[in-house]
Amino acid sequence: MPSQPVLEIRGLDKSFGPVQVLHDVAFTAYTGEVTALVGDNGAGKSTLVKCLGGTYSIDAGEYFFDGKPVQVASPREAADLGIEIVYQDLALCDNLDIVQNMFLGREKKSGLVLDEATMEEMAAKTLDSLSVRTVKSIRQLVSSLSGGQRQTVAIAKAVLWNSKVVILDEPTAALGVAQTAQVLELVRRLADNGLGVILISHNMNDVFAVSDRIAALYLGRMAAQVKTSDVTHSQVVELITSGRSGELGLQKVNGVTA
Amino acid sequence: MMRAGPSQEEIRRHNLGVLLRHVHLGGPTSRSELTTKMGLNRSTIMALTSDLTAAGLVREELPRETGRAGRPSLVVRPESARVYVLAFDIGVDRLVAARVGLGGVILDRREAARERGIFVMEDVVGRLGSFTREMLKKTRSDTLCVGVGVAFSGGVRRSDGVVRFSPYMGVTDAPLGEELERKLSLGIPVAVGNDANLGALAEQARGVGVGCRDLIYLHGDVGIGGGVIAAGQLLGGQGGYGGEVGHMVINAGGRPCGCGSRGCLEAEVGERALLEAAGRFGPQIGRDAVRAVVDAADRGDIVAQQALARVGDWLGLGVANLVNIFNPEMVIFGGMLREIYLAAAAQVRSRITTDVLHASRESLRLRTPVLGDDTTLVGAAELAFAQVLADPLEALARVGV
Repeated sequence: MPSQPVLEIRGLDKSFGPVQVLHDVAFTAYTGEVTALVGDNGAGKSTLVKCLGGTYSIDAGEYFFDGKPVQVASPREAADLGIEIVYQDLALCDNLDIVQNMFLGREKKSGLVLDEATMEEMAAKTLDSLSVRTVKSIRQLVSSLSGGQRQTVAIAKAVLWNSKVVILDEPTAALGVAQTAQVLELVRRLADNGLGVILISHNMNDVFAVSDRIAALYLGRMAAQVKTSDVTHSQVVELITSGRSGELGLQKVNGVTA
Repeated sequence: MMRAGPSQEEIRRHNLGVLLRHVHLGGPTSRSELTTKMGLNRSTIMALTSDLTAAGLVREELPRETGRAGRPSLVVRPESARVYVLAFDIGVDRLVAARVGLGGVILDRREAARERGIFVMEDVVGRLGSFTREMLKKTRSDTLCVGVGVAFSGGVRRSDGVVRFSPYMGVTDAPLGEELERKLSLGIPVAVGNDANLGALAEQARGVGVGCRDLIYLHGDVGIGGGVIAAGQLLGGQGGYGGEVGHMVINAGGRPCGCGSRGCLEAEVGERALLEAAGRFGPQIGRDAVRAVVDAADRGDIVAQQALARVGDWLGLGVANLVNIFNPEMVIFGGMLREIYLAAAAQVRSRITTDVLHASRESLRLRTPVLGDDTTLVGAAELAFAQVLADPLEALARVGV
């Protein structure tokens, strides 16, 4: 069992003007594990992820990466630490091929020209390490790919940079059944290959299929972070909808003892 | 009689097999890595590789680039294009034949759908025979077949490859190994094994279970088979029928099972149970029918969702029993159970949480196969390679080299 989390947040507060969106949130993610981040719409999942990724600054709280305290003021700084986020819109360019997309904005150069050979080799190696067999050619245009293949490319792009933590925002939301299965297996493989994976999902089957831990947000507070092997489906649903489930979760919600 | 320790010749033969296995499972490996992995000195490794090279099983090459100072260590590669086995997979709905090179590369592959119904030896052996002829016609003359392996969806006697039972194919006591050997007439014995047993070995050798010494592989075809690996060894039982977890009774007096009993895991979780619960038992069968239920559930069909939840719950109960008994590191859901696990994981894992001892579930890993639908086929290939990996030179002598 991993002793020290690769990523840890303590006492995180975040407000937008007068509205406090996150209250005293604690969150951890471990190398080699999938941590599912669940919660109702508006619970603060996206805000938390944007704080982790440096898009939003935090008002209060401590951020540790690899056990060391860090300041993450921009997405670039998060990427430098080894944190990559795959958003729902994937941010891929339809008119470019797979290799070009994977290196977009971070192209390898040899002298003045692009080093196509190296980029191709790195892209192929990355897809291979993820056992991706669904893509025929890495020179295919992204416009010709299915939803699942696009998701795969977006994830491979995040893995390419020796990243240590990959955050996936609803990766199966727009996919059919067969592609959902492939992406779930890919998510699992990322962690089995030694990454820390944070999976945001509303689908309880997806969460239970691949996660090692579940962190449930409720109205901007971390209701509980538990090991998946210690909870049932109905307990997680209760944590999401009411912030507590028996002994688990918030014993005091909005100042009222439940 | 008391026996002295192994002779030098026996040790050499053993080491040849171990080295070949490293290269077969691990891919191209440098001599220096082999030295470390096998704990032998450099000159011994050199002697062993030159023996295997002379036998045509491996070849040595300079590595492309090392980026380090000093003379680079030669890389030992399996002769995948030259040395191969024939692997067959006989499922209820499909027949697969493949030519698999040393190192586990699928060189050629043929597949045919099989009609549901009684197993007719002549038809099955005939089809596999013609697949083999087609594949052999395309091989170069310097290639060498070193074994034949079959994965069969049913109980197989270990000693002679006789199929003892298969409820979904209506077969008892069929000498499959013998008949296929006669049909192929390659002069190579045909090894036959239970598909889920072989699937367990395949996922452990080159799938999601690499490095795992305690794992359970569950294979969903029409029924459910299983392979249990404990402390690195497959539990075959006395006759080779071990691991038939599909016939573990989980619901006393439950749904009738093809084996004659009631409430077996496969009666509650198998294809028919799912389709009936979803109100879809009809002309559409097999993986496509299972996928259609998962798809309908995903689109919001309440009946399909309830069917998956019900089946997932029973599956979780079955797995919970197995985990309590065997304390595996990993449980792998193969065949159509892959679809069921991924679509009903909330139910499966809730059962495991409530029904498994805490100590046995805290580091349990639930996975789907890396080898996908080829898991059982790859298992057949590994069975076919067993001889040549156990004693390479002796095995070559037997196939006439």
